[in-house]
Amino acid sequence: MDFALDKKHEMARTLFREFAENEVKPFAQETDETEVFPRAIVDKMAKYGFLGIPVPKEYGGQGCDPLTYAMCVEELAKVCGTTAVIVSAHTSLCIDPIMTYGTEEQKKKYVPDLASGKKLGAFGLTEPGAGTDAQGQQTKAVLDGDEWVLNGSKCFITNGKEADVYIIIAVTGVVEKRGRKQKEISAFIVEKGTPGFTFGTKEKKMGIRGSSTYELIFTDCRIPKENILGAKGKGFGIAMHTLDGGRIGIAAQALGIAEGALDRTVEYVKERKQFGRSIAQFQNTQFQLAEMATSVEAAQLLVYKAAKAKETQKVYSVEAAKAKLFAAQVAMDVTTKAVQLHGGYGYIREYEVERMMRDAKITEIYEGTSEVQRMVISGNLLK
Amino acid sequence: MNLEEYKGVYVYAQQVDGTLSGIAFELLGKAKDLASDLKTDVTAVLIGSDVKGLADELAAYGADKVIVVDDPELKDYRTEPYTHALASVINEYKPEIMLVGATAIGRDLGPRVSARVATGLTADCTQLEIGDFPLNPMPGKEQKHNQLLMTRPAFGGNTIATIACPDNRPQMATVRPGVMQKIDKIDGAKAEVIEYNPGFTPDNKYVEIIDIVKSVSETVDIMDAKILVSGGRGVGSPENFKLLEDLAEAIGGEVSCSRAVVDNGWKPKDLQVGQTGKTVRPQVYFAIGISGAIQHVAGMEESDLIIAINKDETAPIFEVADYGIVGDLNKILPQLTEQIKAAVAAKK
Repeated sequence: MDFALDKKHEMARTLFREFAENEVKPFAQETDETEVFPRAIVDKMAKYGFLGIPVPKEYGGQGCDPLTYAMCVEELAKVCGTTAVIVSAHTSLCIDPIMTYGTEEQKKKYVPDLASGKKLGAFGLTEPGAGTDAQGQQTKAVLDGDEWVLNGSKCFITNGKEADVYIIIAVTGVVEKRGRKQKEISAFIVEKGTPGFTFGTKEKKMGIRGSSTYELIFTDCRIPKENILGAKGKGFGIAMHTLDGGRIGIAAQALGIAEGALDRTVEYVKERKQFGRSIAQFQNTQFQLAEMATSVEAAQLLVYKAAKAKETQKVYSVEAAKAKLFAAQVAMDVTTKAVQLHGGYGYIREYEVERMMRDAKITEIYEGTSEVQRMVISGNLLK
Repeated sequence: MNLEEYKGVYVYAQQVDGTLSGIAFELLGKAKDLASDLKTDVTAVLIGSDVKGLADELAAYGADKVIVVDDPELKDYRTEPYTHALASVINEYKPEIMLVGATAIGRDLGPRVSARVATGLTADCTQLEIGDFPLNPMPGKEQKHNQLLMTRPAFGGNTIATIACPDNRPQMATVRPGVMQKIDKIDGAKAEVIEYNPGFTPDNKYVEIIDIVKSVSETVDIMDAKILVSGGRGVGSPENFKLLEDLAEAIGGEVSCSRAVVDNGWKPKDLQVGQTGKTVRPQVYFAIGISGAIQHVAGMEESDLIIAINKDETAPIFEVADYGIVGDLNKILPQLTEQIKAAVAAKK
């Protein structure tokens, strides 16, 4: 049992931190205010290889382990929740399923461009009527000759419109299971620019405002037969397994947001004076910070453990669910306390903690709400 | 009050600007049914100024007699002189049943008259029949036959009440327009015309009409519309909304839309139905090219009647629709509009 990071990981973390401080932090507030996707930063991250960290070198990635990737998301989230989720959705939700379920041709065709950041990825599962109940899919894919024809829509898609490659989950038929009719769900790779594939609403969000969250619309969108990902009818399993990995990314994002808010607060309470001394000298401040730091570290250990589990275990759903559930709670709690300790200034947009509080809330909702994580964890306990 | 003296089914034949309103013919159609059950005849009461010429038209739709109250005081509808006219007719001729259309005029006139002649009135009826009261014999209570059983929705349509007026005459009801069927026109029919004028002495109860405005509203509040023709992304283009506008015009409704349509910039936000738009409760809601996500359905599921047109038979909208057509709206809407136009023309 070794809790110290090895040299390789320490070096990687230093690189991520420097990049975040120098390249991301100066634009974080502007990204939030303008709600504009930070394309320039994404291009820079591509140059540094941040968009293919856990991808094997032969597919154009960095060949690092899941922990290195989680640390990258964590360090980015310390300064900008938006930038962190761009990397996470791209890596966990688009590259990972292609690497895990794709044929050799599909991997060769899509992964190098994605890993190098030449192209950006996204994942389309959620629909207006199918959120937590992902089985409620309405989008259909019908085989017509040697093309699949997609009809339907997806909502709340991170990296929507900005991404070039999309993993899309759709219904391909009905199957009888134990005498009950069930939807047969499959996964597909769809490229931006395919006729019949358009973008609808851009959502106006409370937080992660620079993240491009769009509706995807498929109207008789025809894709080649070979763009099905994995076997026909295996789409639901693919989506669920993809989300297990994605949850580690979101847990890392939540952890980073909490750490960022804690760092800012520690600095602030030392500087701010009331009653003739810094507010750090008041015991309430000290105890609050102690609670925050303890829960942040607990979250960090869970997140890192889940990242390790992804590396060493075939199944890591429970580890990922625990990490995301707890880290998201910690992010919400720590950012709320951070705003409080800043007092009135914490409520002003110039001080970054209010943004972090807004960004934190989504980590309890997307890639499976906290309630879903509890379902996964308890389901495993009681099986 | 000697109830035996009261005979016949009477209908208030509403006219505005010398033109009979459609409700007059609908009431005559229903009155014929009631009269045949009671083995009596149908009388139309025509009130206005210089309106005698309308009697033949009333005959063509089933009036056996027409009582005309014709006086310059009755040129435009005003509560007091019209109440005086109709109440006088009732006191003079003693009808058993007096039907009034539940139009803006009828809702004003009916209660006034019923109070003046001291009888019961059921408002906004949707069903009228002759039957026994009480419906089932009750010990110790006389069951009366040949009563007018008046049925109307109450509490916003959440309950249905059947009401009788056993001890007073006439039995009065205002009847919801569009519910009763007029009979096919009998060409050349003649009715016995009786002129009756109770005399009018204007007093301070006579309001003075300063101005009558016939407004043609350009922008409507979709929350007030009785019929909504609502389009979604499936309509395909802003130009294609013409099909919906044609249908709305034919059926007397308004066009509304889903969020997707607003997001595409095809329609303004104030026409959006749904969780983040307006919640509507029209009598009829056409959902055209709308998939029926809960975010939309939450804004319209309380509509009395939902008609869905969608090319995808598995669209969730069909779960809330009373009637559904699976098919291409580009083919269906023009035909539907034509049929409705024809039906409307036939009603006139």
